[in-house]
Amino acid sequence: MVNNLRGLAAVDKYYRDYGYRARELKRQGRKLIGYLCAYVPLEVITAAGFVPFRIKGSVSEPITRADTQMETIVCPLVRSCFDMALKGSYDFLDGLVIPHACDSICRTYDIWKYNLNLPYSHLINLPHSADDSSLEFFKAVLNTFKNSLERFAGKEISNESLAQAVRVYNQNRAKVRELYELRKSDPPLISGTEVAKTLVAVMGIPVDEGNDLLADIIREVKQRASVPAGKSARIMVVGAQIDDVALIDLIEDSGAQVVADDLCPGAREYFPLVDVTDDPIDGIAERYLRKIKCGRTYREMKASYREYLEDRFGHIGQMVKDFKVGGVVLYIYKYCDPFGFEVPAMKSYIESLGTPVLYLEDEYSMSTIARLRTRVQAFLEMMANGGGR
Amino acid sequence: MTGERKPRAHATEAAAKVPRMSRELTLRAQRAKQEGKLVAYTFIACAYDEIIRAMDIVPMWTENYAGICAAKRDAQRFLEKAEAENFSRSLCTYALCGLGFDAWRAELGEMPPDAPWGGQVKPDMMLGSGQMVCDPRNKWYQAAQHYMPDVPVYVVELPWPPYEADYDYREVQDYYIKYIVQQLSGLIGFLEKQTGKKMDWDRLSELVDLTDKTWNMIWEAYELRKAIPCPMDTGDAMNTMVPIAFMMGTQEAYDFFKDLYDELQHKIANREGVVPDEKYRLLWGGGLPAWFALNDFNYFNSKGAVFPVETTYRNVEAIYNFDVDLTRISHPLEHIAWRWLKYWTYWYDRAKKRPGSHPDVERLIQYIEDYRIDGVVMHEAFSCRTWHPGLIWQLNLLKKIYRDIPSLILESDIVDISSYSEADTRARIDAFIETLESTRRG
Repeated sequence: MVNNLRGLAAVDKYYRDYGYRARELKRQGRKLIGYLCAYVPLEVITAAGFVPFRIKGSVSEPITRADTQMETIVCPLVRSCFDMALKGSYDFLDGLVIPHACDSICRTYDIWKYNLNLPYSHLINLPHSADDSSLEFFKAVLNTFKNSLERFAGKEISNESLAQAVRVYNQNRAKVRELYELRKSDPPLISGTEVAKTLVAVMGIPVDEGNDLLADIIREVKQRASVPAGKSARIMVVGAQIDDVALIDLIEDSGAQVVADDLCPGAREYFPLVDVTDDPIDGIAERYLRKIKCGRTYREMKASYREYLEDRFGHIGQMVKDFKVGGVVLYIYKYCDPFGFEVPAMKSYIESLGTPVLYLEDEYSMSTIARLRTRVQAFLEMMANGGGR
Repeated sequence: MTGERKPRAHATEAAAKVPRMSRELTLRAQRAKQEGKLVAYTFIACAYDEIIRAMDIVPMWTENYAGICAAKRDAQRFLEKAEAENFSRSLCTYALCGLGFDAWRAELGEMPPDAPWGGQVKPDMMLGSGQMVCDPRNKWYQAAQHYMPDVPVYVVELPWPPYEADYDYREVQDYYIKYIVQQLSGLIGFLEKQTGKKMDWDRLSELVDLTDKTWNMIWEAYELRKAIPCPMDTGDAMNTMVPIAFMMGTQEAYDFFKDLYDELQHKIANREGVVPDEKYRLLWGGGLPAWFALNDFNYFNSKGAVFPVETTYRNVEAIYNFDVDLTRISHPLEHIAWRWLKYWTYWYDRAKKRPGSHPDVERLIQYIEDYRIDGVVMHEAFSCRTWHPGLIWQLNLLKKIYRDIPSLILESDIVDISSYSEADTRARIDAFIETLESTRRG
């Protein structure tokens, strides 16, 4: 609850003034750890008594200061995040955790670390492979991270506190899934823009507050009166990280409804849960290395190529079916190697389901929005005419 | 990676031999296919050189082939083919060139027309890698399977500990070593399955020893470049990288560097420098070269500037300089793992000693001092997020913790010539030379 605002009204405030709650918490003496990407195990940070805070960029803020330290060949989202950090948007942070997610994130770790000069920083050396020895290695990496955080916190992170953090994050993920259920009706009870704003709001507040907020929103949305089935196209957005509603708003403004996604923040990050294990690190390692299906993690081909595509992209196909998706917008940032190399395979897989795909390459900037609008509108027209490929 | 339209002038006889050697690598893979031997797509700096050679796998170095296409200024048609397949032109252009080639070859059922040096043969397997740098190493071959779904891929993980302030890498090195050994064992299992034969461990040990010997010889030869005048510069090192990157674990590579060592000794004795009147000594401080514009090194030379040292492709250290005695590690996979980890952490201890420093910057400082460097030149290749993020920051940090040294960052690409302007590049080099001159005059 913020300024007596609840539910989607609170989301709107948190979205527009991202970091509002973090600044409040800082004033109250809490320590905040900034992080990038879905691959930072938030359970460990929370169990240590810190508040994880996801660093986001801004599509409407021109990148200026970052260019004096970071090459423009880096993913534009990462550059924008760094630019916002240099401009003081996240001056409440006490630490920074960066995962070995992709080159743009991993190879800029030192640039972040030396420029922000925060009291704490750590790189989580997540492997690319997910075989048994990689999982064993990743558990050791997580224990190194845990030990490092313990030194910074000046206290031990107990198994009990980790197990509690696992529970509360699993509740968080379950609530997001419940929210997504409200998108299955036709028309959906909640718009894609509202969902996107909610997920951005949640990544900037403590997880328990996020759970309360999500519960409020679910209650609020369920009270909405159902309306007759619509004629709008049902769209799924697939891509890396979208932390701004511009694209989704554009699609919905063009007459379609965004009903599903494979995004971060989004289903890719929220749907997988941590298994409850005797040593909580085991369940955490399994989730982050094996359950999150992102192009940055290499999955071995074990049978035919068709089965391989099913293994890599089957969850997208399942969502297309479950959410009655009529078309997919594949939205990839320039300079994104993990997703860029997926495009031909992913596109052909989704199209093989009979679902048309619009592939958009973009730069994380409002300056391209007019061009995107034209492409989206043309795609929707083609879908309406029964085509779209 | 040589073979540009007009051969660039080489300072050493050794470097002049490289174009033929490089071509032979491509032809060898073509012959192997005809003879029924197994060919693998391979990446440089993946620590599996001795393993594939011990298993008689013939490597087809895909980065090398893309570099050849670039040096011949014949890569654009493959980049465009990849773009037509929906790969973004902002991705790694080594990979795009290779994928465009593979897609075209699959479409035709034969080599694309007039393929440079006869073309890149369809492999029997592809050996990728997961590392702290370079996403394309685990994405490229996976993407290539879209055009060769019958060709298996194996990805071997090769991490090293990050440089952190709050713990020493030695605290974690044991579990890194264990993991790398497990990964290399997995690779051997994969190769045994593909070839139907068992690893010859004695042969592998011999090749590991040969590689150690070669690393030492490379290091000793390159150390001779400290001499004034400098007998060999980075322009040549972008040729002599071929035996480092693509021929490790062969007697040919060792002999090449022994010859280079002897040649450099001879040049030093005769005071033969790269340029007759050496005015400026430069460090190639980062970035892969523009393979289509290696003549820019000659342009530097024409201004009296030489590059006695570079960080790029000098990915060896003398084995005897490591803080573990590798000669005591007899298990070949453990030996490879320790060599890998100790190379990547080599500058960590030096960095810890200087407040605010970092291993990458410490390496620049060491070279600046050891090679009596006047200025630093880097190259930012737009398509590569492996080596090129951090160049600006490294120069900023260098100036902050060490001294204000003239520097230049050139911008273009490794393969995509459309990113390059010779006139602009040379104008920037001219301006940099003027800065060096005014610094020299004080």
